[in-house]
Amino acid sequence: MKTRVHIIDNATGQPVEAEIFDEITVEHFIETQQNWRPVVLKAARQLASRSSHQLIPQHFHWDWTTKAPELKVLANVFYGISYDNQLQGLMKLETVGQFCTCRLPEQAGKALVYVDYVEVAPWNLKPLASALGEKPRYNAIGTRLIEAAVLKSKEEDCKGRVGLHSLPMTELFYTRACRMTPVGRDPAKQNLLWLEYTAEQAENFLTGAR
Amino acid sequence: MKFNSDLGWLKKQAALEDNCFVSVGGLVSAVEDLEQKSQQATASRTAFVNLLNLARREHKLTWEQFSQKLDVDLAELIEIENDESYKPTPRTVSKIANFLRVPAEKLFVLSGLARAHDKQFQEAALRFAARSQPVKALSSEEHEALKEYVKFLCER
Amino acid sequence: MADKRTMTLNLTDQEMSLLEDLSARKDVSKTALLRQALRLYQVVEARLSRGEKLFFEDDEKKKAELMVV
Repeated sequence: MKTRVHIIDNATGQPVEAEIFDEITVEHFIETQQNWRPVVLKAARQLASRSSHQLIPQHFHWDWTTKAPELKVLANVFYGISYDNQLQGLMKLETVGQFCTCRLPEQAGKALVYVDYVEVAPWNLKPLASALGEKPRYNAIGTRLIEAAVLKSKEEDCKGRVGLHSLPMTELFYTRACRMTPVGRDPAKQNLLWLEYTAEQAENFLTGAR
Repeated sequence: MKFNSDLGWLKKQAALEDNCFVSVGGLVSAVEDLEQKSQQATASRTAFVNLLNLARREHKLTWEQFSQKLDVDLAELIEIENDESYKPTPRTVSKIANFLRVPAEKLFVLSGLARAHDKQFQEAALRFAARSQPVKALSSEEHEALKEYVKFLCER
Repeated sequence: MADKRTMTLNLTDQEMSLLEDLSARKDVSKTALLRQALRLYQVVEARLSRGEKLFFEDDEKKKAELMVV
């Protein structure tokens, strides 16, 4: 699958045509490691300005040599967004697995699609770009990836139901921008907040209805 | 897959997404991890500097006399006290540990030369840093704080 | 979407009943459920072949190993 979608170019405030695709390869993983990681590290050092070199985590990124086989697992679905010849966002969905079940009481037990990994390139995130004295380049990439997750959920006959575990610093995106329902902290996943879409909420997100 | 082509919707979403971190299980988790570690490092560092200062004053020594007693470079002691980003040498930290009669490995953690894994240790450092303030003469409270903290370092 | 191929599947009454029950519980079509089951089988097989073990854990944190054929 390869489709044109609009994202926002922050320099002009105008939409530009990016590409969203599902044929992800190991090269894309490596691109995030080579192009994204150094920028995140640099911004992280600025943000935590009292840190020293020893404090930079050495193991926070995926070991891509072990993740490559995940590309062949049918339960996994990957999406990338590309613009200006660069990867601007990457996402991994799981369509079956231990987290692919709804927890909201009104839909408990029903199947959902789980967002296992999503990331927007660091130069597009205002908090990181600002730490480096720059303006974020493109916007609405996270929105497009979550939109893809909902559309995939519908394709899988899960009616748009999507679930994920959010880090504390990303909760605002999922509650405010995506309007997902926070369900509760999950002790099985470092007490991260579990959020979920009902079919109706997913549809509202897709259409912009409140 | 049919994505939303309404540009009004897109701009509204972009406004909501602006200023947000967007990540699940990705590199951005490192930023939060780093901020937490930085706060712990600051508290440890303050505890180390205050420990040094109180110990010097407890013995009624000037910095010059203290450096001679410890057999360390005076310039380095001044760097330790004034520059929070300065990392003392392991030799200096060992000498300080000997003088204070506390385990060297504990001071390596406090000074930032080694990583702390013990939450109780970090909390004690934070409490000590908060209780000990550098003034001319040791108050009885500072004296007490110093005594208790040295006891804690020796006992664990 | 990838090209699809069609197959006919004969199920016993019990199997069909189970399929209907599970698809209702999961709120997905029977076809979607069978696809999910196939993918889940692949996930389990891949991990077992790497030497990992599959366990279920009850409330008292007692683990019981799942036998997979």
